[in-house]
Amino acid sequence: MKRRPTTPVIDVSNLPTTAFGQRDPLWWGVAGVMCIEGTMFALMLASYFYLRGGAHVWPPPGVIHPGLGITTGNLALLLLSILPMHLAAQAAERQDLAKIRLWLVVSTVLFVAFLALRISIMHRLTFRWDSHAYGSLIWTTVGLHTVHVVTGIVENLLFIAVLTRGPVEDKLMDDLRLNSMYWYFVVACWALFYGVFYLDPGLLGTLR
Amino acid sequence: MSAEPIGGLTSAEDFEAAEAADRRLLERTWKYASGLWGWFTEVDHSRIGKRYIVTALIFFALGGIEALMMRVQLARPANGFLGPDLYNQVFTTHGSTMMFLFAVPIMLGLGVYLVPLMVGTRNLAFPRLNAFSYYVYLIGGLFLYTAFFLNTGPDAGWFAYVPLSGPQFSPGKRVDVWAQMITFTEISALAVAVNLITTIFKQRAPGMSLNRIPLFVWAMLVTSFMVVFAMPAVMLSSLMLALDRLIDTHFFNPAQGGDAILWQHLFWFFGHPEVYIIFIPATGIVSAILAPFTRREVFGYMALVLSLVATGFIGFGLWVHHMFATGLPQLGASFFTAASIMIAIPAGTQIFCWIATLWGGHLRFKTPLLYVLGFIFTFVIGGLTGVMLAAVPLNLQVHDTFFVVAHLHYVLIGGAVFPLLGGLFYWFPKLTGRMLSETWGKVSFWLVFLGFNVTFFPQHILGLEGMPRRVYTYLPETGWGDLNMLSTAGAFILGLGVLVYLLNGIVSLAKGEPAGDDPWGADTLEWSVSSPPPPYNFQALPMVSGRSPRWLWHDQHPVVVGLRSDRREFLITNLLDAEPDHRQVSPGPTVWPFILSLGVGVTFILGIFTPWGLPIGAVPCAVALIAWFWPRGDQGHPLLKEKS
Repeated sequence: MKRRPTTPVIDVSNLPTTAFGQRDPLWWGVAGVMCIEGTMFALMLASYFYLRGGAHVWPPPGVIHPGLGITTGNLALLLLSILPMHLAAQAAERQDLAKIRLWLVVSTVLFVAFLALRISIMHRLTFRWDSHAYGSLIWTTVGLHTVHVVTGIVENLLFIAVLTRGPVEDKLMDDLRLNSMYWYFVVACWALFYGVFYLDPGLLGTLR
Repeated sequence: MSAEPIGGLTSAEDFEAAEAADRRLLERTWKYASGLWGWFTEVDHSRIGKRYIVTALIFFALGGIEALMMRVQLARPANGFLGPDLYNQVFTTHGSTMMFLFAVPIMLGLGVYLVPLMVGTRNLAFPRLNAFSYYVYLIGGLFLYTAFFLNTGPDAGWFAYVPLSGPQFSPGKRVDVWAQMITFTEISALAVAVNLITTIFKQRAPGMSLNRIPLFVWAMLVTSFMVVFAMPAVMLSSLMLALDRLIDTHFFNPAQGGDAILWQHLFWFFGHPEVYIIFIPATGIVSAILAPFTRREVFGYMALVLSLVATGFIGFGLWVHHMFATGLPQLGASFFTAASIMIAIPAGTQIFCWIATLWGGHLRFKTPLLYVLGFIFTFVIGGLTGVMLAAVPLNLQVHDTFFVVAHLHYVLIGGAVFPLLGGLFYWFPKLTGRMLSETWGKVSFWLVFLGFNVTFFPQHILGLEGMPRRVYTYLPETGWGDLNMLSTAGAFILGLGVLVYLLNGIVSLAKGEPAGDDPWGADTLEWSVSSPPPPYNFQALPMVSGRSPRWLWHDQHPVVVGLRSDRREFLITNLLDAEPDHRQVSPGPTVWPFILSLGVGVTFILGIFTPWGLPIGAVPCAVALIAWFWPRGDQGHPLLKEKS
């Protein structure tokens, strides 16, 4: 009699088909994206300090702080958006579709408000990207970050649409949690840039 | 975990019938996409891995032809074969092709093919992302060569130093082509890196704890992490360069507060790790080949893994040694000299471990082992000139001479291409189901090995005599003609060797001997499945109980049961010990990754001409992404209902 070439030793048919957090491969995918973009933003900051270190006057003459109130208020808006995103993630863990939708709508409104305020801040700037290297750095960084905010808005709208129209697959719940995790990263990046750009002692000196 | 058989089947006949039925079901579920449409929708890692390898080999051949053109030009003093302008384009395209379109993609492509098989899973973690990465890479490569044939090939060197590459000294679109090609290939490499990390961390066969991962897989893991932290630097710097050229930003313009040296910092923060991104997978190949051809486990597993990880870290602390000629502060130069010499420690540890493996093994002198031996010899020479170049005084003396050209080809061809050629020879039976001709394999090895050394050894001497790199000719009075002629002759021998190797592959594809599952008696899991592997890789996922799982199996081997065959199910295990955690469904074929890559292509290519490229290109990209991710409920996931 021939022998069986394999011996079954583990039966996995009872294991679940979804998992949250770092058990889910997608968590590693999103974490990887955060590492990649985090490195890019960190190098942007490194470039800022490299050019700052080589400059005689920083910021260049003619640059005026766009206003501590409006820039700080805008950051506060962004920090506030963490709360509904967190609540949406918690609702996702409970598979409470109505609550997820509600908190996604609230956070999207905050994102849009942040973006509108950002546009008005950029209008107040006294320089453009082609004025000097300082201008290039600020505009490029804000531009890259804005792409992330816009992506966040589009993603939230998509999630709302999927939750409304269906079909809602069980794995979507972890996707939602990861969407929130990624948003915290986008907020944290801007908190850092806010500190470096708008609390720069050289720039604060131009406040009237 | 019990070692007792589970499941109700007892007799061998029952079992065989059930297994055949299960195999038919798996084949239906995991069917490859077919036809032309299938080519654009494929998500299988082995098929995409093969595409990576074949595409990269075509670019390797193109880069090689460019190298021969340069050698013909330099064969005699005051030669007129290539004019200075064409020479600039040829050497830039040669360097860019070899680094970005050949070396990195072929190493990552080999990982795409082999990692899921070696860790015992059915596909990569993100199969559609994998498909996307390939198309983006292909578009980037085609874009570069289209431009090259339209006389718009980049001409500022593969590291495109500003101010030469800036708007003032490089008008036209040549440098923009380079900058965008970089972005294409970096996106592709980053996508593969994240895919490999996730697959290695979360999808290993039960029992394959971290200390049992095959060395090749460890190498791909370290490489992937290096890609994640190094490639953003070149994406950012090439973006800055493109912006400087397109919308008049001033990142690298000293007149407006910018700094040309910033380019070099950002570029080499990527560029030096890049060398290890190419070299580390090659060390993995060496370890993979050594085990079956010495008939023993590779000596010093722990030392080798720690060396890989150490190389990964130290590799990020060396970049400034490319910039010694820029007038650094002395302290900085000393620091980077020390760091550069330090990397010889893990490199040396690896070499000694391999020698120890050879020492105690029963050697089988087949072609793959010859390439490994050629690697050890050549790489040690390249490593020695590397230690020399780490010293500031010598570095300044030979900066921008052929000594550097000789050094970098010894480490990249000797250190990476030799193991790669050995590795492709070794895995060819798995990829194609056929053996390569051993005789022609040996002929190719000796031609490549001799040709390589005849080409590049004289360049050390030429460099010490002061011959500058990247200059299209030299005068007869310099006396460099004879050594250059020797070098050119060597290049043609090398080229002939590569040609023999490639022809061997093409002929064997049709006429090679059938390979069977495991022609080499190897230890890792990819050899336990048919050649080429079925689309689901393993009918039952294997269970691993040691570092050389197949050498521990006797006539029966332990497997996992309970994965569903009627949908694309795969097993997720935990990070440290690879214990089964949960099951997931792998996505099936789709065309959207290809459409997205076209959208990305439109964005970047339009972006050369107008800043509106970004908003215009964003539209097809967004459409493709939405269509890609929109859930259709057709993959077998349980659906959730609204709570009332």
